[in-house]
Amino acid sequence: MSTVTNVGTDFDLIAHLLRRTGFGATRDELEEYAALGYEGALDKLFNPGDADALPVDLIRRYHADQSDLRIPPSSGSFWMYRMVTTKAPFEEKIALFWHRVFATGQTKVIQGKVMISQIEMFRKYGLGSFRELLIQLSRDPAMILWLDNQDNHKDAVNENYGREILELFAMGVGNYTEEDVKECARAFTGWTIANMPYMSTKMRNNTLRPYGYIAWQYEYDESDHDDGEKTFLGETGNFNGEDIIDIICKNPATPRFIARHLYHHFVADEFPVPQWPFEEPKDPEAIQIMVDAYFANDYSIGAMLRAMFASDIFKAESTRFARIKSPVEIVVGTLRLAGDFDWPTDDVYKATAACTYMGQQLLGPASVEGWMGGDDWISTGSMVQRINFASDTVGDPEKRGIKSIIVRIAERHEPGNVEPEALVDDCLDLVGRLQVGDDTLEGLVAFARDQGDVDASTDDGAGKITSLLQLIVSSREYQLA
Amino acid sequence: MTTGTRRSLKYLETNGFGAAQGGRGYHFPVDIAVRSDDRIYVLSRSGQGSLNGTGISVTDIEHGWHGEFSSYGTGDGQIQWATAIAFGPNDRLYLADEKLQRITIFDTDNKYVSHWGSAGSGAGEFDGPSGLAFDDDGNLLIVDHKNHRIQRYTPDGDFIDSFGRNGAGDGEFDYPWGITIAPDGTTYVADWRNDRIQRFTKRGDFIDAYGASGDGEDQFNRPSAVAVDGDGYIYVADWMNQRVQVFDKDWNFQTSARGQADLGPWAAEYIDANADEKRARESFNPYPKLDVDDPHEVSARTEPYFWVPVSLALYKDDRLLVLETARHRFQIYETV
Repeated sequence: MSTVTNVGTDFDLIAHLLRRTGFGATRDELEEYAALGYEGALDKLFNPGDADALPVDLIRRYHADQSDLRIPPSSGSFWMYRMVTTKAPFEEKIALFWHRVFATGQTKVIQGKVMISQIEMFRKYGLGSFRELLIQLSRDPAMILWLDNQDNHKDAVNENYGREILELFAMGVGNYTEEDVKECARAFTGWTIANMPYMSTKMRNNTLRPYGYIAWQYEYDESDHDDGEKTFLGETGNFNGEDIIDIICKNPATPRFIARHLYHHFVADEFPVPQWPFEEPKDPEAIQIMVDAYFANDYSIGAMLRAMFASDIFKAESTRFARIKSPVEIVVGTLRLAGDFDWPTDDVYKATAACTYMGQQLLGPASVEGWMGGDDWISTGSMVQRINFASDTVGDPEKRGIKSIIVRIAERHEPGNVEPEALVDDCLDLVGRLQVGDDTLEGLVAFARDQGDVDASTDDGAGKITSLLQLIVSSREYQLA
Repeated sequence: MTTGTRRSLKYLETNGFGAAQGGRGYHFPVDIAVRSDDRIYVLSRSGQGSLNGTGISVTDIEHGWHGEFSSYGTGDGQIQWATAIAFGPNDRLYLADEKLQRITIFDTDNKYVSHWGSAGSGAGEFDGPSGLAFDDDGNLLIVDHKNHRIQRYTPDGDFIDSFGRNGAGDGEFDYPWGITIAPDGTTYVADWRNDRIQRFTKRGDFIDAYGASGDGEDQFNRPSAVAVDGDGYIYVADWMNQRVQVFDKDWNFQTSARGQADLGPWAAEYIDANADEKRARESFNPYPKLDVDDPHEVSARTEPYFWVPVSLALYKDDRLLVLETARHRFQIYETV
């Protein structure tokens, strides 16, 4: 890789951190975090304060359908606004992480409203104790209906949730028996929703008639709970769901499983989850760092990540640009770069749809295993969608973020002309310190040279800078985080 | 005239039905108006994914259905982002569209007559017309909400004057929404993001402002509409608090309503026709025990409650119609 000429090491490291914990960074954001130093930047990420995203009242006033959030374009776009405009992008990255691991789909659940409530729960509990998170997840109405726990009765057990909490959510295949699955399911009998017969009927009929959807409310039905003795992972007692979660959380398999997911999402692409029983982690040392932090900090997910981000493994040059951006990362990152969505606009629906076209429907994961990620994100069709979306999004010099880039370039140079090489350096720097290979660099410089010298203070210069930015976001390297 | 007895709201019944593809019912309705012949007009803004519900529906207090007109689009008489309706002289219907930046007129047969408006911040231009009301001279007041002002026009669309600017001071607005002219000629404006109601003389001179941010009795969270009856009682759609508050003309708190809808005839007919839903609904508790306190969340989980109460209309001066965007219906209350 060639590095742009005006690189400072700390800036590159901070840019790496912000790509992984967020969606990349504008130059303003990069400078703000870099001024804090690496540890200070981590402090700010973990304690972001007010998200200060586009206010909900404005969204609801202009998009009536985002009041009830019933259908996928409405609920997905409601989340899209938050991701694009938040000043706490790490919260959204964490929510995306758990959305992928605890994959729940609106295709079955039907109600976008309860899906958005689940995402809000991920924001609130996603960096805290894994025990508390699993309890919240087990009480989450969208999860209950997604895995049929409303049909899990003391006299007629449904194993669906009991199985998936072990297999997909907390431990992984090979760390429990079929008997454990049954006992686990028994412990979660009675964990249901209020008005279950009517709510499940409305879900099945999928209609807003007569008066729209009624959002679901968790309810514990003690009369339907199996309070009998159970043996689970070697322990015996009259376990309820919380007891089962206690046993899960103290099992060493649990942090190893979660650490591997965290590594895949925040550090580097791992093997697909179905291969995990047969393949060792790509970086066992990284996994162990997170496992140790988990047990040393009361099962804290935040502590696992903080330890990971502080490690040389995460900071290493080889870790940077080692992940393929998910569609949501491409779309949200590019919209944030361009400074979109300062005000409600129908374009939000196009952005949400673009994620779907690229293979990642928000609130609609591909299966109960979420999205595989990695190379799976890239196909001929999805690549065209990625490039077209990114290029279109940065193609307007009047957008706030693009204008900011143009102004910065103008400020860096004496009034007059900017040399092609310097222009390419500036643009790569200002899109988030993107590092490109020699071939790409040569192509960008050749394009800049063909455009002729640029005076960034003129409309002609702004247009040329914008064209160069469009080419940069179409590059192979822009697909990497 | 205000008396010593507090004004209260007595629930009567509910009119509505979710109609995402049009037909009898509403889809994300945003405004309601009563014509001189007591026909009730409901404006459906509809939403992404099913814009076929966009249009204006006509009903009456007995739940009669008198059809619908207009549709989503940019042509004459069509709608993109509808915000408000009001009846003008000769019962012509005026419609505001905040995306097309125009006011459209329909005749008494609901046929398109004409429209006017263009985007901008100059005199006679709009940036988001969002509330309509006629004064007793027959002129139209338009809330030009992103320009933070009220504009006045003749019924034919000729600009007369305007008042207001952005801010939080007297006579200033922060994205105002609904507007109404009281029987005594006073203008009431729902000063949406300032969480207050402002009153003005007929000429647009500031009288007073009432309200503050919050969920207390003298507070609002994004009020969207106001209605005033012949006795001077003031009804406020407290949009994000999901309630209607009532005050006397001196702003003395009277009552607050959270909503108590049951199945109206159209809804009951649907339930009767769907055996599985009817059977499942027999055990339905409309007021489940909740673990949330945000009013929007509470309303989302409690079917009888107002969910996004956006607009109000008085019917024969003794009934209040409360229109709810997210439940596709209006609840009818007697004002007693």
